[in-house]
Amino acid sequence: MQEFIIRRIIYAIFTIFAVATILFFIFRIMPGDPTAQIISPALDAASQARMKEAFGLDKPLSIQYVLYLKGLVTLEWGRSFTSSKPVFDILIYRFWNTIFLMGAAMCFTLIIGTGLGMLMAWKRGGPLDVGATVTALILQSAPPFVTGILFLMILSYQLDVFPTGGMNTPGMRLPSGMAMLFNKDFLHHLFLPAMTSAFYYLATPMLIMRDSMLEVTGSDYIELAQAKGLSPKMVMIKHAARNALLPVFTVSSVMIGFALGGQVIVEKVFSWPGMGLLIVEAASSHDYPVAQATFLMLAAVIIVLNLLADISYCYLDPRISVSGGKK
Amino acid sequence: MRLSAITEFFSFQFKTIKRSRFGIFGAMILIFFGIIAIFAPLIAPHELWESLRDSSGKLAILRQPCLEFPMGTTAMGRDILSQMILATRTTVIIGLTSGLVSVFIGANIGLFAGYYGGKLDEVFMRLTDIVYGMPFLPFLIVLISLFGRNIWFVIIAICCIIWRTSARVIRAQVLSIRQRQYIQAAKARGCSDLRIIFGHIMPNILPLLLLYTAFNIAWSVLAEAGASFLGFSDPNNITWGGMLYNLWISGKIRTAWWWFASPSICIILFVSALVFISRAYEEVANPRLRQR
Repeated sequence: MQEFIIRRIIYAIFTIFAVATILFFIFRIMPGDPTAQIISPALDAASQARMKEAFGLDKPLSIQYVLYLKGLVTLEWGRSFTSSKPVFDILIYRFWNTIFLMGAAMCFTLIIGTGLGMLMAWKRGGPLDVGATVTALILQSAPPFVTGILFLMILSYQLDVFPTGGMNTPGMRLPSGMAMLFNKDFLHHLFLPAMTSAFYYLATPMLIMRDSMLEVTGSDYIELAQAKGLSPKMVMIKHAARNALLPVFTVSSVMIGFALGGQVIVEKVFSWPGMGLLIVEAASSHDYPVAQATFLMLAAVIIVLNLLADISYCYLDPRISVSGGKK
Repeated sequence: MRLSAITEFFSFQFKTIKRSRFGIFGAMILIFFGIIAIFAPLIAPHELWESLRDSSGKLAILRQPCLEFPMGTTAMGRDILSQMILATRTTVIIGLTSGLVSVFIGANIGLFAGYYGGKLDEVFMRLTDIVYGMPFLPFLIVLISLFGRNIWFVIIAICCIIWRTSARVIRAQVLSIRQRQYIQAAKARGCSDLRIIFGHIMPNILPLLLLYTAFNIAWSVLAEAGASFLGFSDPNNITWGGMLYNLWISGKIRTAWWWFASPSICIILFVSALVFISRAYEEVANPRLRQR
């Protein structure tokens, strides 16, 4: 078990390192002047030369690469071209905003999805089963900007129930830290973007839960539980659902990774000041240090999430680490 | 004999799709979009970027759907119906190309990794892990902003990422097929590795390949629509996502519902057709899911 976990951690570190390396080369093989990615072209010639030296851009590519890695580890991520603030300071504020939004959306998706999936398997073939399958598949096919704009049109523009975007009402300050999470204004703003994201991913846990429940229902231990005379409700919840949750767990860790990439759109539609919006702004204004750092941060979060999922999975299903350890 | 086996295979797949209500619905929609994509320039009543005037000679800006403009016009007086028809063609090109190329990459990586195992498997799977670590849309955005807004860069960027799921799934399937007796028999008979991979293992994963082709087309269309909506698309080729981007930056989102509705419905129909077909497939691949 321990060996398995240590190996997973090493893999994760290697993966982050590899993504950083790929990123380094992507940003340096782009057409045009490669120094333009680090030094703002708006500066005068003398300070450009000084910056070049400071960033080591006059050195060969291999030394640049070492300096780049050193910069990553020591959190020296450069300065934004547009606001000239340190990239790290901008990013750390955006980071939590994205995590809060993601967390809310994914909690909702997983709870509603598994619950509905369980009911669908129970009343299999009934109106709920067919109705929910079709609805979820259509929601999955509707990109988040379509559902998001639809929500905005109906709930914000027409009915004026929810705000049109942002994290707080202009002029109102949000309390900092954890207190923000319980702020009414914040939650009011959080609701629509979180729902948009949640609806888009609802089909994944729901259908997997349904299919996995149907799969489990044929097992011997379920028949045994039924033969013991337990009520169908008991069998469903205590015996079938528990084991059926395992595949949902595996798939949702990958799903959350995908969702983090897709977060860009939700944040754009609702102007939520998170990492997704940041990378769109940075990429369209060619603010490369910010774009590069944000991309790497998103990748790191995804990789760490997958690592955590792997580790907790081997506690939930010990068979994995045994066969995985011997491989 | 080979040919008859192939036609038999496809007629079986067709029957599979036909057996499910979901499948028929999906197939009909796809055929519809396919026909529009092929004949797009002939069907479209107006030029893509033409600012239209109505019969009284006034610029037709933000017209609601009416007889003259069946789906209304944009803030620049452009015909939405024509844009939608031409966008169908771009979407089908992007979807088909990146769907097929990515399944090709994913299938090969999965087949070789699963069959050979060992070092090769380790290398390919670490590569897949790395690609799994990449956030898809940000990757697309960054690549397009670096290399230029061109439909082929969009396709390449999509292909770079989207093969990952098919590679993992196909590898897992190959791992189990590899243990079967007829593979051992083929080995004992002295078949070459390539022949075993493409002649004996591949036919068994064909249904999976078709399933993932459908998925990958759906994902690439969604990804492209997302990137276009964020403003990262080829300015010479309109897509449904690009139409919504134009609506978004025109600031007319509060009023121009027709401009929003048409491209959105197209995206949903196209993607859900693929999703429904793949669902029909999954039900057949896993008979327990079939009703009764």
